[in-house]
Amino acid sequence: MQIRCTINSRPYRFECEPEERLLDVVRRLGMLSVKKGCGEGECGTCSLFFNGKLVNSCLLLAPQMQGAEIVTLEGLQKETETIRENFAKEGAVQCGFCTPGFVMRAYDYIIHEGSKDEKRVKEALDGNICRCTGYQKIVEAIVKSMS
Amino acid sequence: MIYHRAEHLDDALNLIHQHPDFLLLCGSTDVAVQLSDQNTVQGLIDIGGLSELRAIEMGSESIHIGALATVTEIMESAAVRTHLPLLIAASEVFASHQIRNLATLGGNIANASPAADLTAVLLVLNATLTLGSKQGRREIALDELFCGYKCTKLDHEMILGITIPLQEHQWYYRKAGARERLNIAKVSLAVVKNSGGYCISGASLNPYALRLRHVEELLNSGDVSDEKISEALAQDIAPSGSFRSTKAYRTRVAFNMVKEAFSSLEAS
Repeated sequence: MQIRCTINSRPYRFECEPEERLLDVVRRLGMLSVKKGCGEGECGTCSLFFNGKLVNSCLLLAPQMQGAEIVTLEGLQKETETIRENFAKEGAVQCGFCTPGFVMRAYDYIIHEGSKDEKRVKEALDGNICRCTGYQKIVEAIVKSMS
Repeated sequence: MIYHRAEHLDDALNLIHQHPDFLLLCGSTDVAVQLSDQNTVQGLIDIGGLSELRAIEMGSESIHIGALATVTEIMESAAVRTHLPLLIAASEVFASHQIRNLATLGGNIANASPAADLTAVLLVLNATLTLGSKQGRREIALDELFCGYKCTKLDHEMILGITIPLQEHQWYYRKAGARERLNIAKVSLAVVKNSGGYCISGASLNPYALRLRHVEELLNSGDVSDEKISEALAQDIAPSGSFRSTKAYRTRVAFNMVKEAFSSLEAS
């Protein structure tokens, strides 16, 4: 089937199968910041904005992209500059596989909620898993990005 | 696999009539996992475009939540925050932020999981469902919807909305699992106490979420002891042992929660 949608403010038109995942489509189109981790909505490394809401792209099917506005980390380079710098400085990055998803959630949290309370930040990260850092440095990098 | 996108409600109801065995797709958080687990899905009817089913409306005697309202939209509703704090409490510990942005209330109900968090809560809030089909609409009480594990009485129908009557009440909610968030309940218990007495329901205690009628009766009698709670629970719950939890653990935790709910609601 043919899909038309907007990704990072640019119009796209492509063919897809009904059972394909949104995640696989955006990777095929070159948005490689969107990682494939668990494939069932647990790890958050495939997070992107779908019609303005941060979602797991592994849980959406390609046909659901029809007419949608999608934004990946590639489309938020300027907006996430401070967050990414703080992740690097604070040691919130180790293997890096979860980082794009965490940066997306951090950006989403800062623009919509933005409390510096560490407990609130930790709760906000309930949809993202990191297997290297132990989270504390990630929380600190996010809090620092709001200063 | 066949995919149809419904452009409006009549279109969706026609498609459901023609393809009763197709799955309805909206938030996709359950459907996606089902597609990965088994390849028996014949086709999908995408109802995500039916924006008329998204609204949350405050009436004079009830709150009506459209079946396609997401958990996030429910949490952001001032009417729900003011009148249904129990629904908010369960929503806050529901899955994760990214999933709350996708998952719909209608989907949580229709998926009919034994662990459906919001279904358990809606049961004690006396929710009724509006169902739609090509033949028209009908209302049913939520506790009449289920007929077994992952099984509903929906017959060429879809859930259009959920209506929750407004009534003064006290509430208790607790969910136990392996972690605090993104956690499928090992046991959850929702309790409402209003002028009519106690309403209690639990998730992960039966093949589907249901009211614990014997426990309700016992708490309403006021003649409560540990032994009587255990007896009443034994009549109301049939937890399974699975990779997530054992039958003994679920039984014990349900007992602890009933006791905690009773003492906190009696004291207040």
